[in-house]
Amino acid sequence: MSQFSQTNSGGIDYRRRQKVARLLQHLVILLGAAVLTIYALAPVTWLVSSSFQTEAEIVSVPPHWIPEEPTLQNFEAIFSATEEEEITYETRSGQDPASGGYIPSTAKNLIPSMWNSLIVASLVVVLNLLVGVPAAYALAKIRFWGRDASVYFILITRVIPDIALVVPFFLVIRKLGMLDSLGSLVLTYLAVTVPFSVFILVQYFEGLPDELDKAARVDGCSRFQALLRVFLPLSLPSLVAVVLFTFLTSWNEFLLALMFTQTEASQTLPIVLAAFTSDFTISFSFINAAGVLAIVPPVIVAVVFERYIVSGLTAGAVKG
Amino acid sequence: MHAWSAAVDTVQSHLNAFTNTTGIPVNYGNSPWAQYREGMVTKFVGGAPLDMMWVSDAWLPEWAEAGWISPIDEYDFLTAYNSEAEDFCTDSMTYNGRQYGLTYYTDFMAFFYDESKIKEAGFDAPPATWDEVVEQSLVMKEKGISDYPMMLAMAQESWLIEFMSALVYSHGGRFTDDAGASIMQHEKDGAVEALQWVVDAVDKHGIVSPACVETGELSGLKAFASGNHAFAMVAKYRLRMLNDPAQSQIAGNVKQAMMPKGANGDHNTVGWMRFHGMATQSAQDKQRAENAARLIEWFGGKANGEYKFQKLLFLDIGAGFGVKPLFEDAEIQAAYNTYGDVDTIKAQQALALKKDVVTPWFGEWAETNGSAWQSAILGNVEPAAAIQKSADLWDELKSSY
Repeated sequence: MSQFSQTNSGGIDYRRRQKVARLLQHLVILLGAAVLTIYALAPVTWLVSSSFQTEAEIVSVPPHWIPEEPTLQNFEAIFSATEEEEITYETRSGQDPASGGYIPSTAKNLIPSMWNSLIVASLVVVLNLLVGVPAAYALAKIRFWGRDASVYFILITRVIPDIALVVPFFLVIRKLGMLDSLGSLVLTYLAVTVPFSVFILVQYFEGLPDELDKAARVDGCSRFQALLRVFLPLSLPSLVAVVLFTFLTSWNEFLLALMFTQTEASQTLPIVLAAFTSDFTISFSFINAAGVLAIVPPVIVAVVFERYIVSGLTAGAVKG
Repeated sequence: MHAWSAAVDTVQSHLNAFTNTTGIPVNYGNSPWAQYREGMVTKFVGGAPLDMMWVSDAWLPEWAEAGWISPIDEYDFLTAYNSEAEDFCTDSMTYNGRQYGLTYYTDFMAFFYDESKIKEAGFDAPPATWDEVVEQSLVMKEKGISDYPMMLAMAQESWLIEFMSALVYSHGGRFTDDAGASIMQHEKDGAVEALQWVVDAVDKHGIVSPACVETGELSGLKAFASGNHAFAMVAKYRLRMLNDPAQSQIAGNVKQAMMPKGANGDHNTVGWMRFHGMATQSAQDKQRAENAARLIEWFGGKANGEYKFQKLLFLDIGAGFGVKPLFEDAEIQAAYNTYGDVDTIKAQQALALKKDVVTPWFGEWAETNGSAWQSAILGNVEPAAAIQKSADLWDELKSSY
């Protein structure tokens, strides 16, 4: 007699119960995923949606997730700004009725500030790799006196909070005559990011067998060639982690940029974005349009390196 | 010259005119308002080259005590403008008997109402007292016009002291006496009555949302602009935005009334101002100091015979001004009358008082004071006990400085 008929006679239908349990499990996972997806995407969706709304529409109750009167005025204000023209009483933005009276006068600084951020972040990434990779290789593969102490010393520098470094950094930058320059940011961001980059890379290099290094040396490679031809190709995930970490850190950094920059020539994106909330008239829709543009480069970087991100970020995670 | 990132184009246009007129070049830098004080402190400590900067009245005691800024009252051509400035402006720029700058922007906490909601509720006129605010609000709640007719922003932020001061002053109270001693704990001429009104408005009448303790000025403003409330206490310069159809759902309906008064009070409100100050490093060099003084006059006084910068700032963004003659300017009157009533604005500004808690220990005290008010609003402590705690800290800090 089948199991099914047995249940008809009052037995327990284990298979059906299992099926229902599995279905419930899938349902819970699906619901959880849906909730998490909404949680993650709702702010971004609102950011994008509201950037196409007028200021009047953005404060409507209930909010319009799909703009009823979509407008490009916020983006036009950002992209149509002209530079280098001397600002006079006649040409000042406050005189411009097209601004709607609420587009901040610093709107024209957004694109230059994005360039500044991109230049600083790119330089910091490149210099991090140039400094960090050889340093990490040396610390991981060359036995020398004080090696462990060097690693710990590099790590200890990251224990000091950035806020405690602001005044000392400021004094150094002022003495170097680098106030209000991109160079001041590159220099200080390197001090902040290189230790962490070296730490990530050291952990990863230590995970690669020493025999590879020895074999390369036996085959006639110099230290530099062994690094270049053997270790670097094997270290792609950790290099991606370093690139992502240094790029995003530099792109988002606020405190040091606030202290060392004061004109549009050197101000980076976070400072200009914060400045939009400083004006007498504050437009949420404009700030959201600026926010949309601000997330584009990090998203592009993340998409490009997506396949390496997880393995890169966990590089060395299980090493003591 | 360093300023925060406000009206940047207007400032730059006026600076260019200064350079063209005097031949003195000026490097102009700016940074966001929210972090401006911290940034300036770093610049002062780090010895960054500075001649003139924007200063908030709230920072004057700290910056003057630290020797970062210097008095400007040795320049008679600057102090001559005091006769045309609002008294609370000059008072707010004065510390230990010395004047530290000239104002370029001045404003006050105003009481706005949505005229359409008042009429819908069956009233002919806005409330003149805080009791009438309760009365009209309860009718609006009953008729379903608004769940929380009164908008108050009581979040811990830099605006909080202005909201508190306006409530206290209009109830006839003060935080401190003329000697700087705490009287906030007094029942009649202190801050207790004002806080009790807020507590009752939240707990007893339900006309102010309990979420007011997490509502900042900007969020409150946008909520009022969305039509959620009938009454709001916000900075007067917001009136232009509230009546702009491109920015507000209630444009055209927002009117200003005199600040409602309490049983022992008048229509007083709090005023504030920002001014141009001179860096001490500049004051120590005769030529630099003279150039800085000319720049201060160009912005805070007259440029080519008129209060040009204050007028530009008003016309461009609706910011208030601290010199009385501008109220008689035809262009200003015409601009004001497109979205407000210039007579009400003038009358209210005349009743504005400076903040009486601006001291070197203000920052330390303000946090505890804000928390005490919030605790009372949330029903965790009696208003009198909350204010007493605040007063005790004030006395302790005063004696230790």
